Amino acid sequence: MIDAHPMIELRGVHRHFGATRAVNDVSFEVARGQVFGYIGPNGAGKTTSMRILATLDQPTAGDAFVDGFSVIDDPDRVRFRLGFMPDYFGTYANVNVREYLDFFARAYGLRGSERSRALSYVMSFTKLDTLAEKPIDGLSKGMKQRLCLGRAMIHDPGVMILDEPAAGLDPRARIQLREMIRQLAADGKAILISSHILTELAEMCDLVGIIEQGRLLAVGNVAEIQRSSAALQTTPIQARVLGGAGAVAEWLAGRQDVQEIRTDGELAMFEHCGDREAEAQLLRELIEAGFRVVAFGSQTRSLEEVFMHVTRGHVQ
Amino acid sequence: MTAIEPPLSKVDSGEAPAARRPNLWDRLDRLAERAGEWLNPILVKETRQALKSRQFMITFTLVLVCSWGWSMLGVSLIGPNIYHGYHGWDMFCGYFVILAFPLLVIVPFGAFRSLAGEREDGTYELLSVTTLRPRQIVSGKLGSAVVQMLVYFSAVSPCLAFTYLLKGIDFPTVLYVMACAFLASLGLAVVGLVVATATTEKHWQIVLSVALLFGLGWCFFLSLAFVLGELSRSPLPFQDGDFWVFNAALLTDYLSYFVLLFCVASAQLTFASNNRSSLLRAVMLGQQALFTGWMGWRFAKDDGELMLVVLYLAFSGLHWGVMGAFMNGESPELSGRVKRQLPQSFLGRAFLTWFNPGPAAGYVFTVVNMASVLLLAGIALVAGAMFLPGRASPVLGANPYPTLIAFGVAEFSYLVIYLGLGRWLTAVLRRLNQGRMLLGALVQVLLLLAGCCAPLTIHLMIADMRDDYSLLEISNPFWTLEEILTHRSLSPETTIVVFVLPIVAGLVFLGNLPSVVAAVRQVRIAKPQRVAEEDELFELQRHPPQPVIDPLAD
Repeated sequence: MIDAHPMIELRGVHRHFGATRAVNDVSFEVARGQVFGYIGPNGAGKTTSMRILATLDQPTAGDAFVDGFSVIDDPDRVRFRLGFMPDYFGTYANVNVREYLDFFARAYGLRGSERSRALSYVMSFTKLDTLAEKPIDGLSKGMKQRLCLGRAMIHDPGVMILDEPAAGLDPRARIQLREMIRQLAADGKAILISSHILTELAEMCDLVGIIEQGRLLAVGNVAEIQRSSAALQTTPIQARVLGGAGAVAEWLAGRQDVQEIRTDGELAMFEHCGDREAEAQLLRELIEAGFRVVAFGSQTRSLEEVFMHVTRGHVQ
Repeated sequence: MTAIEPPLSKVDSGEAPAARRPNLWDRLDRLAERAGEWLNPILVKETRQALKSRQFMITFTLVLVCSWGWSMLGVSLIGPNIYHGYHGWDMFCGYFVILAFPLLVIVPFGAFRSLAGEREDGTYELLSVTTLRPRQIVSGKLGSAVVQMLVYFSAVSPCLAFTYLLKGIDFPTVLYVMACAFLASLGLAVVGLVVATATTEKHWQIVLSVALLFGLGWCFFLSLAFVLGELSRSPLPFQDGDFWVFNAALLTDYLSYFVLLFCVASAQLTFASNNRSSLLRAVMLGQQALFTGWMGWRFAKDDGELMLVVLYLAFSGLHWGVMGAFMNGESPELSGRVKRQLPQSFLGRAFLTWFNPGPAAGYVFTVVNMASVLLLAGIALVAGAMFLPGRASPVLGANPYPTLIAFGVAEFSYLVIYLGLGRWLTAVLRRLNQGRMLLGALVQVLLLLAGCCAPLTIHLMIADMRDDYSLLEISNPFWTLEEILTHRSLSPETTIVVFVLPIVAGLVFLGNLPSVVAAVRQVRIAKPQRVAEEDELFELQRHPPQPVIDPLAD
């Protein structure tokens, strides 16, 4: 069956706290199996939007939908389809890992063998099965993060909202978490994830949304954002030229479509304004001009660069 | 979900262990596990937590140690007299003190902390994104309180049985006091839960927790005063029929307030777009009907005692005044979800619109209910005068009817005026700031205080009229009503008041009419397509279509 609606949809969502516009006309969609990276500086409105989607808050205006159901009017239907992992652990005292997950499985209405299956699947998926009887208070941060991910997916939701799931994790735990999220997306879940570790988001996200001061500045994949942003319409290019890059730099300086030229021995680095076709044309012209070009390559911008270009570092 | 291989330790290694026939305990264990599947998840979690918690272990051990300690001390103090003296009651009092503290202080405060703690730690948010309903959360917390109570009872029960073996106390008294203690503990636990849901702000939580602790302490000492003082002096009249009627009335009132508080706690936890009001209004109406029933029965039994009509009017006025103040704090906007459930038929719209959420509907609901109270009181007066011998009341005098009518009219008018003004003021404050449920009640209290204190201050400054009622006090409902009631005939001032108040009440009511009309004009909206689709799917799952059998087919 083809989905007539996206799994996650924000439609003109506003959330105001007095004079502060925490979320200001935010709209985006996430389809089944997609991972949407939500990035922005602290206080940009990421958590507020996520809380609205998780039915923990109500928008001042606009609406948000999970699997086609409004978070305002049908929160109970939304909750059944949604797994939420907030940026805090939310653990109970005097409870071990199995009891904790068992409680949330019961809270989602899982009974008997269905609950046992869900528990063993989640503990195996999050690699917590060896820690089943361990009190939660004694878990490390990484283990707690895995436990919280397990809690969010115990009822096998179609949508997962993960607020800073990788915060404070060591590199190994981060890699493991990334693998888990990829696996969840491969299982067909729509995932909305926020993180400050942009390199990781770039690796696992199909779509990225950049938010600042409550406004969504850019949405799409990294390349799309680059194309749509006026500040990012140049491509960094490196060319290695036998016999030194000085002459090439002089030659390039006379062109309109090239800027920010730097040289380092045989290496010429510059920003080129144009599409892939124009890059090919530039290479052809360089060779025709007699330069012995042995390497010529455009570099994709990292998500960090895109983020820095798009945002201004303003906070409300 | 992918299938997971069972852990290696659980895989059959080929050597089948010797099969052991399940004994009674194994069967009981399995039965309990199966029953546990259907228990409230919160109850299961809280019980697991409580049994491992230090606070519970310490309290339980203390109760146990104190009970045994008191047994030892009591027996050694009484000495050989224990065989023939009447010391059962003395021993029972000691056990009651030991049991009452955990029941009336620890358990209710524990229920409060349990929910307030969840809100402070953020675990409540995790709970609220599950499919657990607020009602389940509250009942789970209450269930956990009951489990703790039962454990405390079990610790003291051998000692209570011991008191029964002594002379000086009978089994019904032990049972009655314990039942009262249980109900009081349960009632206070639900109060604790309501207080825990009242606010999410930490500073208010601290203020409320201190207030609750004082309140619980007061209840504890009150219970001691009742058992150690009252019951010690006069034993319970189990043979008296009126005693049981009084207890039945008390129990039904207790149950009605328990249900109301339970619904309030659940409503406070319910998502803002849900209908949090209709059930509460139905419960309030039920309470009024219950009170009317008991008062009517008493009125008939006491041959038309007119002071009962005054009590009926006074308590009903207080009930609707308090309820109306909280209803004023409701949000005037109806969510799409609520609009989907609005009554559609003419009769439904005429009678059920007032159960809808919103301050305007709530105002009319309150006014109509108080008007019904007035009407019922009038019917009681007429019926009493016609069919019952009647009883002269020393308070109301020889001709009590004008006084009673004036009292009823003035009380009703005050309710209409104060709630109407409170509704306007709350609506204005809502525009300035996000309103909360408590805003309506707070505005009402301040309005009433202003209405009472402002003229009183002026009054006290005029030396020669300090003790006399004057028209200046028209905004003070308490003094005015007291003045009407205690002076056996209406004074010139109260006569003016009784004529002025209904006019003002009518004007205030008319002023509120536009918003009432707006509330009535709300109409049902259709379900969104996605919801309708899913409902249809659920319906199909519940009632799969029957296969059509063609009798002509071979």
